[in-house]
Amino acid sequence: MIWIGDVLVSQGEGGVYSERMLGNTRVWDPFRSKLSALYHKGTGVEITAETRVLYLGAANGTTVSHVADYAEVVYAIEFAPRPMQDLLEVARRRKNIVPIMADATRPEQYAPLVEMVDLIYQDVAQPDQATIAIRNSVFLRAGGHLILMLKTRSVDVRKEPDVVFQETVEALTSAGFVVQESLWLAPYHQDHAAIVCTKPGV
Amino acid sequence: MARLIYGFIQPHTPYLCNMLSYWFGDVVDGQCTPSGGDAPAKADRVRSIHTSMDPFVPLTWETALACGACRNRADYIAKLREVCFTAADRDIRQQYSGKDAELLQMVRTLDEMDTVINLLTERAVEWYQLSHPTFTRKYRKTPAHILVKNIREKSRGALSFVAGEIERLSATRTELAKAVSGRANDVMPNTSALIGGLVAARLMANAGGLEDLSRMPASAIQVLGARTALFAHLRTKSPSPKHGIIFQHRRVHNAPRDCRGKVARVLAGKLAIAARIDHYRGIADLVFLESAQARIDQTGTVPDKVTEKITAKDDEP
Repeated sequence: MIWIGDVLVSQGEGGVYSERMLGNTRVWDPFRSKLSALYHKGTGVEITAETRVLYLGAANGTTVSHVADYAEVVYAIEFAPRPMQDLLEVARRRKNIVPIMADATRPEQYAPLVEMVDLIYQDVAQPDQATIAIRNSVFLRAGGHLILMLKTRSVDVRKEPDVVFQETVEALTSAGFVVQESLWLAPYHQDHAAIVCTKPGV
Repeated sequence: MARLIYGFIQPHTPYLCNMLSYWFGDVVDGQCTPSGGDAPAKADRVRSIHTSMDPFVPLTWETALACGACRNRADYIAKLREVCFTAADRDIRQQYSGKDAELLQMVRTLDEMDTVINLLTERAVEWYQLSHPTFTRKYRKTPAHILVKNIREKSRGALSFVAGEIERLSATRTELAKAVSGRANDVMPNTSALIGGLVAARLMANAGGLEDLSRMPASAIQVLGARTALFAHLRTKSPSPKHGIIFQHRRVHNAPRDCRGKVARVLAGKLAIAARIDHYRGIADLVFLESAQARIDQTGTVPDKVTEKITAKDDEP
């Protein structure tokens, strides 16, 4: 990860979403991107020029563009047509993004397209977020990482965010993931937690 | 038609268990058969592949290389991207071509225009009051459009222009409302017949589309548009909302207070069925509509206990 002072940046063509530039690098705002917030909290997984990433819930391609600046290739999965149009525009200018219009809850839809990856980054607004991660873990190589951005409010508004958080961590652990870190993204994002896991080697 | 034939001659996983199908070709026992074809053909092929996820081994790009589908890693990504872009363009186009897609935009525009017209009217009245200190709306039942017309006629300069603009906006709104109603009758004939085109369209827009509406349980349709009240109910101990958008229908808001919830419930039940007929068949079902209308009318007029007796009698052989 590239830091200029205490500002996280990525190297690539600017102007994707009128992001601030610092020299010729793009500022990666922790208040806009949950992944940036995770790095600002002092943790996260190092993304290098060799890293292959499966990005679930790519949305408008804002965070995707930063991930693509670091990674070798990003398989970006998005379901809704309107954000997909934006994502396609971002992907047109960044040759290492593979935009896939499919439902992250149904990995069989894009199984013929996606190879084994080193990192799965999941940021979806769905109730069954742990299940989605587990179903997609077939694409993750042994020793690879999973970063799950948990939107506790999308799981169940009636439950306390803490309870949802604990349940998700337990679900991931019982599915064989080793939870490295789990933390809240406050003050950058409210009611959002990040869970960093590894898939144990064989 | 072309896709049908294509799927027919191309054997896929359901028939061969040890065959792995990828976007660039099929692999059987390490032997790869390239699928050939251009990007659109490959995109269609990906959609027709049924991958079993249990057990599942992700593809490797080296397989594609051995298959002759690419020259190197960069070429692999470039070719894959071409297929994915084609598939995404196709899918977006398909989703937007649904008959409900335009209706959704129309009804959302309509509701936003209402908000804008109301805001502007209120502002214009306040502005008008400055030059007419004796003006008041108390004890007067002037409809808003007459009020705006009066403001336009009795003021000069900018305010008059603004009032004129509000009038034009209202005229556009009326036209749009007619168009929404007409389109709704066409796209969702059964739902529109039960509750009126405008309200039917609003329900559909709130659900996010006709397909989404058709998949909703009646209990969800009943409180569509009462989001704040519903979540307040789920979070705290406040009473659950009885109705959302369907309150706009006369049968619900004209019903006596104590049986409004009941009417809303019955109406929502019939709407759920109507939405499904609309989505899957797309034509009006007169037999269903007649029986649904009768059931809803009965709920509105007959007091609770009597209704129960009637239904009980009907149920008897």
